[in-house]
Amino acid sequence: MALAGCTLNPPRFPAEETAGLPPQVELTQVAFFPQKQYQCGPAALATVLRNSGAEGAPDELANEVYLPGRKGSLQVELVAAARMRDRMAYEIAKDLPSLLREVAAGSPVLVMQNLGVQPIPIWHYAVVVGYDLDAGTLVLRSGTTERRVMGMRRFMSTWNRAQRWGVVVLEPGQLPAGPQLDRYVAAAAGLEAVGRLEAAGQAYARAREQWPESAWPQLGLANVSYRRGDREAAEGGYLATLALDPRNVVAHNNLAEILSDRGCVAQARVHVEQAAALAKGTALEAAVAATAQHVAGATTADTAVSCPP
Amino acid sequence: MTGLLRTILVQILAIALLNVGSPLVVQAEVIGTLAGLESAQRDTDLARVNRVLATAEARDQLQAYGVDQAQVEARLAGLTDSELSTLADKLESAPAGGDVLAVIGVVFVVLLILEAVGVIDIFKKFP
Repeated sequence: MALAGCTLNPPRFPAEETAGLPPQVELTQVAFFPQKQYQCGPAALATVLRNSGAEGAPDELANEVYLPGRKGSLQVELVAAARMRDRMAYEIAKDLPSLLREVAAGSPVLVMQNLGVQPIPIWHYAVVVGYDLDAGTLVLRSGTTERRVMGMRRFMSTWNRAQRWGVVVLEPGQLPAGPQLDRYVAAAAGLEAVGRLEAAGQAYARAREQWPESAWPQLGLANVSYRRGDREAAEGGYLATLALDPRNVVAHNNLAEILSDRGCVAQARVHVEQAAALAKGTALEAAVAATAQHVAGATTADTAVSCPP
Repeated sequence: MTGLLRTILVQILAIALLNVGSPLVVQAEVIGTLAGLESAQRDTDLARVNRVLATAEARDQLQAYGVDQAQVEARLAGLTDSELSTLADKLESAPAGGDVLAVIGVVFVVLLILEAVGVIDIFKKFP
């Protein structure tokens, strides 16, 4: 009945929004894991992980993302579980054409829905695996239904009530169909933050290719080098970052750390002073102050050390 | 005598204060890319999350919500500083996908009606 209602009156997109999209897509090869009670999170996550070539059965994932006390799974824990498998959960832009574009490019999209209403929310995870623009429908792996066909209008109301949250799970160094610098670099930085350095490095390298004018991928690569213990590469990387963005606080600060450690105290002082001026009033102020203290206590090396000019 | 007592008391308090303050001491270390991005994007003076404190709070929360002791550390390991702080502060209220429908009676009837008119979409998940 609901389906008929949707097909009678399918939403029409302005042509420019769906331009270039095939009218009908279904990723039939995407696996289906029927959920157990309350465990749509592990099931949906297993679906997109498998598609990206990562291991993780729903039962195993339940240990990582299911919260017994909430009878459900939190978004941040789904993202974290992907990270720990060297996969990047990239949050897509919050509009339907962006979602359809990912599906058309072959990536199933893990979405959160609110199947209830605002005062009585019923949070649900499902995976969009197909769509039909003419019929105005989406195809989802959802709950215990392998092929749930849902009208776009109805889908949109459930997705709207969940702040249109959706992620694609990418292999290291893979770009989404609609790559945005901020979102992509933030996802890569998440890998770096939890120590998945190999995957983070691959993602930053891909980002540098895609956005050569941005300082962030370059900074990310330098930080990965530093954490791997390659200080020479890191130093070069911070200098390259500053060539792209002379006002990058993190690059000034981290360069000061490296320089003072190897006895180039005068140069370190210059960078930490710039970092301090730029970080004033921001969340990084305390971290830069700690570096300044470290630099102040450092001793200048003998002349054998070659310091940058 | 009171002078001596006062001195001891002041010293105890001073040590206690120092101990309270110690987790907040910032170690000199390189700043991660994410901290830089978050600072640049937020463009506010939000204090940076203290990872040690946020981890301890998130650990307590996960245990309180029934996560097995053996799995807690592995789950914490995948989270960034700001995610840890989200978990610590909002675990109770953040949306948790799980299809929980814990309503009965009148509310159930209302939901059925809402479903029938297409406002919500709860009951058709299961064929």
